[in-house]
Amino acid sequence: MRDYEVVYIFKPDLLADEVSGRLERYHQMLTGGDGSEITAVEHWGKRQLAYPIQNELNGYYVVAQFRCDPAHLPEYERLLKLEEQLVRYLVVLSEGELPTPPSALAEGSDAPGTGRPESKRKEATDAAPEATPAPDTDEAPSDDDGVETATEEKVEAPTEEVV
Amino acid sequence: MAMKKVCKLCERGIPRIDYKDEQLLSRFMTDRGKILPRRATGSCAPHQRQIAAAVKRARYLALAPYIKGYYE
Repeated sequence: MRDYEVVYIFKPDLLADEVSGRLERYHQMLTGGDGSEITAVEHWGKRQLAYPIQNELNGYYVVAQFRCDPAHLPEYERLLKLEEQLVRYLVVLSEGELPTPPSALAEGSDAPGTGRPESKRKEATDAAPEATPAPDTDEAPSDDDGVETATEEKVEAPTEEVV
Repeated sequence: MAMKKVCKLCERGIPRIDYKDEQLLSRFMTDRGKILPRRATGSCAPHQRQIAAAVKRARYLALAPYIKGYYE
């Protein structure tokens, strides 16, 4: 038994019901009653692809996690490959977390705030004993600021804006 | 001008990088979508390896472009 995570990208013109029906069919293959289970399914819905795939500019994303015996996988992946409405899929070993929503960085936005003063202090104390010239010590924190404000903006921006 | 760099991911205590988190990954990519080198980001080696792997997965899933701006 291992934990896996799979991302499906369906053609954008599929309805949510059709997608659910297909997912059920795929997942039936995995849950063979030997303790295999689907632990999480998350529909991201339609979003823009970073580049066209099969002439499609959008895709319907679904992320799922499951636990099953590795022996089930070849058959499961064969089914996925035959599926024409499935533009792309990726099965990877799960890294232990529930599927993170697209806005995963929400908690990350707090971290820079708490980390900033600390890092500044560190740099200041580091720089002082080294007896580096004053412009150096000034520059380091100011540069840091630029980077972190930039990251905060990115965090707040809606995730859907993928070019 | 040498500036001491600290791995931002270590600093913030992010142990693992999610390939689905394209906002995070975009901070480690150039404006053309290339993976930034460690000398530019100051990432530690373990995190740099994770970044590289995550960016490649994200590209495959069309969450990140292989070449940004190519199709515009």
